[in-house]
This record gives sequence, C-alpha cells and structure tokens, in this order.
Amino acid sequence: MPNKLGICLAIDRLSKRFGGFYALNEVSMGVVKGHIHALIGPNGAGKTTLFNVVSGILSADSGGIMFEGQPLNHSRPSKRTLLGLARTFQNIRLFPHLTALETVMVGEHCRSYHSVLGAVSDVFRQLPFQEAREERTMRANAIELLEFLGLADKCNAKAADLSYGDQRKLEMARALATQPRLLLLDEPAAGLNPHETEELDAVITRIRDRGITIILVEHDMRLVMGISDQITVLNFGTKIAEGNPEQIQRDPAVVEAYLGEDVQL
Amino acid sequence: MFGGLIDNYTQSILIFTGINIIAAYSFFAPFKTGQVSLGQAGFMAIGAYASAIMTQKMGLPFALALPIGGVVAGVIGVIVGFPALRIKGVYLLLLTLGLSEIIQVIILSWDYTGGAQGFRNIPFNRHTMGWCFGLIVVLMIFFARLERSSLGRAMDSIQQDETAAEAMGVDVVRTKLFAFGTGAAIAGLAGALFAHQTTYVDSTTFNILLSIEILTFVVVGGGSTCWGPAVGAFVLTLLPQLLRTFRDALELTPVSWTNFYPMNRIYDFFYDFLDFENAKRLIAFGVILIVMMIVRPDGLLTRDSMRWLSLARWRAKRA
Repeated sequence: MPNKLGICLAIDRLSKRFGGFYALNEVSMGVVKGHIHALIGPNGAGKTTLFNVVSGILSADSGGIMFEGQPLNHSRPSKRTLLGLARTFQNIRLFPHLTALETVMVGEHCRSYHSVLGAVSDVFRQLPFQEAREERTMRANAIELLEFLGLADKCNAKAADLSYGDQRKLEMARALATQPRLLLLDEPAAGLNPHETEELDAVITRIRDRGITIILVEHDMRLVMGISDQITVLNFGTKIAEGNPEQIQRDPAVVEAYLGEDVQL
Repeated sequence: MFGGLIDNYTQSILIFTGINIIAAYSFFAPFKTGQVSLGQAGFMAIGAYASAIMTQKMGLPFALALPIGGVVAGVIGVIVGFPALRIKGVYLLLLTLGLSEIIQVIILSWDYTGGAQGFRNIPFNRHTMGWCFGLIVVLMIFFARLERSSLGRAMDSIQQDETAAEAMGVDVVRTKLFAFGTGAAIAGLAGALFAHQTTYVDSTTFNILLSIEILTFVVVGGGSTCWGPAVGAFVLTLLPQLLRTFRDALELTPVSWTNFYPMNRIYDFFYDFLDFENAKRLIAFGVILIVMMIVRPDGLLTRDSMRWLSLARWRAKRA
C-alpha cells in the first residue's frame, strides 16, 4: 500500500441500506492520488450508490469517507464540490435550456463567488451594458475547457440539442469547471459508439495528466482494463476484489461474479 | 406626476398596471429558482399592513414606510423560505397557499388594524405613479443584469435540475432562500404602494385569486426571461380595458345597420361580450388565456424570442 499522504479518497466500512436491502455493505477502499481507479461489478452491485454517497447526494448509514485527510460525512454536495470533488451522472443531468458555454460557467460559479451575497453585490456593481470582470475570465476558462473536450464549435448550442456523446462530454466539462482534484465519472462510455469510446479513453487520460484523480464506473471492460491503474470489484454491495487489471482478470471471484454474462474480462 | 397630462381614470389604470408588474416580478424571483409560490398576495398583505401601520399609526412619511413594508415582508419570506426549501411542486403550492390563508386570518382577527372592518384612512400617496414606475425601472435593471450574471445562471440551473446544480457546487439552499426572500420583499413593496393608493385594505383585498392572477401574469408573459413578467402583467391588466375600448368602438356603428334581425342579436352578443361590467367579458378573457396556452405554452416572450430580438443578432446579421 502507498503511504498515507498519497491517498486521495479513503472509504472506511461504508454501508447504505434501502429498506432491508444492503446496497453497500461495509465497503472499504483507498484511491491513490493521480490514479485512474475503476469501480466495476455486475448491474445492481452498488457502484452508483457508492458514487451518490461519496458525492453527498445520499447519506451513508455507517462508515466514513475521508477526502484528502478531511472527513466528509454529513456535508452537503455543494460543500464537497468546493473541497475539490466533482462528478458526472450516469443518466445525463444537464440543464436542458442552458447553452454549452453557460452550462460550463455554472460549474465555475462556485469558484468565482464564495457566497450568495458576493454574487448579488456583483449584480449591482457591474456597469450597464458591461459584464463583470469575473464574467470575462469565467467565459475564457469555459471556452478553454470546451476546447479541451472538443466541444469548441458547440459553445452556443443548447445542452438538450447536443448529441448523446457530446452531452457526456459536456457533463465532464461542467464537472472539470469546478476545478476538482477528484473526479467521479459514472459510466462515461454508456451509449457511445466504439469511435467515441476511443476518444473518451484519450480524454480521461488527459484529465489524469492534469493531476486529477479519477474514479471510473464503467461496463466497457476494454476501456477499463486499458486505462485503469487500480480496479475495485463490487458485487451485491460487497467488495469482492481489488488490484491492478492483470490481477482482476485472473481473480476467480470476479470471474464467478460475471459468470453467465457476456463480458470479456 | 403627469397630473396635467392624463386624466384620473387613465392614471389609476396605469398605477394598478404598475403594481401588477411589480407583483409579477415578485413571483418571478422565486420562480427563477424553480419555486412556484401562491403566497405572493399574502406577502403583499404583509407589506400593505406594515407600511400602513407606519404611515397611519406612527405618522412616518411614505418614503420610509415603503421600504419598511418591503423589509418586513422580505424577512417573513426568508423565514417561510426555510420549510419551502425542502418541498417542491404541488406541495410547495399548498404550503404557500396555506401561508396566505394564515395571513388572512391574522389580519381578520387583529383589532389594531381594524380586524374585519378593514384598515381605513390610510394616507393617500399622491406620487404613487412616480414611485411605481421608478421601482419598475429599478426592478427591470436588476433582473436584466441578474439574467446576464453568474448568479442568474446558477438560479436557472437550480430551476432546471436542482440535484445537478448542487453537485456542481451551487449553494442551492442560500440561493433559493435569497430568491424567495427577494420575491417576498418585492411583493411587500407592491402591497405598500397598493395600500396608499386605495387608502383602504382588508383581509379579502389580498386573497388567493390575486395570487393566481400574479401567477398568470408570469405564465402568460413568459417565465424564462426577465421581460416576460412585465409584458404579461401589462397585457393582462390592460386587456379588459382594451376590450372595453372595442365596445366603445362598437357603439359607433350606425343604428340602421343593426336594428333588424339577425344583426341586432349579433350586435347584442358582441356588446355584452366586450362589456367591462359584464361577466361575459371574463369569458373573452378566459378564451384568450386558453388560446395563449395552446399557441405559446412558454409565454409571450421566451429565451429564444429574446435571442431573436437581441441587438447582437442584428449586428451579426448586418456584418
């Protein structure tokens, strides 16, 4: 195990129950800074639940989450985003009527204005027919991010009008706009064609190269095995294996969990 | 103001149009964060009573009583905003509806302000017109800037997907509270202006029908741009007056054209239809509303129509 300083996210015996059903049962895992850490498992294994608990949308029944040495329990999702933890959604959740540029600028909002009152006073301070200085830098950053993800030509398109693949990219751009140090990607390749998946592979690697740690939930095993540094396998809310791609591919418990499914590990 | 230029009747119509526009903006502020409130008439009542107590009982000038009315309504709005944070949609409608019922009952049973007999002898403010339109200009500038600011975008994002907005670091709780409180304060200002124009208010003045009317202004005008509420309130307040003008025009038709069957029946029908005092006018109003909702469900002005109208587009076209 790497030393404690290198740990970005530490999950300690996390449990989440829905009624009598354990979506997560005492799951522990550590994510090393700078790694692409994949989270795999059959449908209903609890991967998305884990994401929702880590990002604060659901609260855990027991267990603890440490992000860069700070405990995260009970803080609201927006507070966690301020700490440097961003996510995308499995079922795309964009703001349908905002343009791509505006969507990314919403992500930047929390970095430009630390309080609502600050943002309100900016509404009053700006001169007529002129925009605030923050607005200009925010727009420049947003355009840069859209270029980074190859969406530069779709700046003024409404989020709802974008293609499925572009919507996934826009979700990533919006998450990156919050300047995260840990990015949770929930099935970014779902619904993409092989060519788009290849592009995504490159994009995820480039995001990692910016020094952002990534946790990736994904069903596309070729993508996962190709780019992950570390893989955690969940089944029925329990961790059944952890290791690098070679170890996981050889692990009998993983093969068992996927038995009968048409998955090439 | 404008005393010599327009007669009293026109002036009072313009004043109530102005108050309606302000009330429409009071609905628009929380609506921008996805909160639909049927309590705006209640907040108007708070503003009206608070400011009237200041002028009539305490003897303060209107210029001081007006902001006090707004602040009192705003503070109560923020307090009510806390439970309103947790609930959405129909349930929020019911909560705000309940709030305005509570306010009505308190007013009805509060002897200090006249109870069921109503609050009488509120000092008449001769300058309501100036205050009204000054305030509208300030509100329009504020909301126009809000629309182009980061805060405005954050509000839009909350309206469209609250969970995603929260996950992107938008402080949903404070932003929604700010919006709800601002809406309540603006409603309080509208109520204060109203009370000092009519000089008499009671528990039935600010009833649920008024709240629904305010909602209609924004829905008809368009809730996605800052100009929608003003246009909606303007059109819907003046529409009955316009129908009345049509009736007056109808009276100009020569009698020889309409004094035989079936023209006399047709004439009578339209005359009744457009009569200001006649219930059938409300039918015309209702028909127009229904047609509106079918033809333009997003309101008269939408984000797209504003983009179409924008200066930038015309500049780009010419270049």
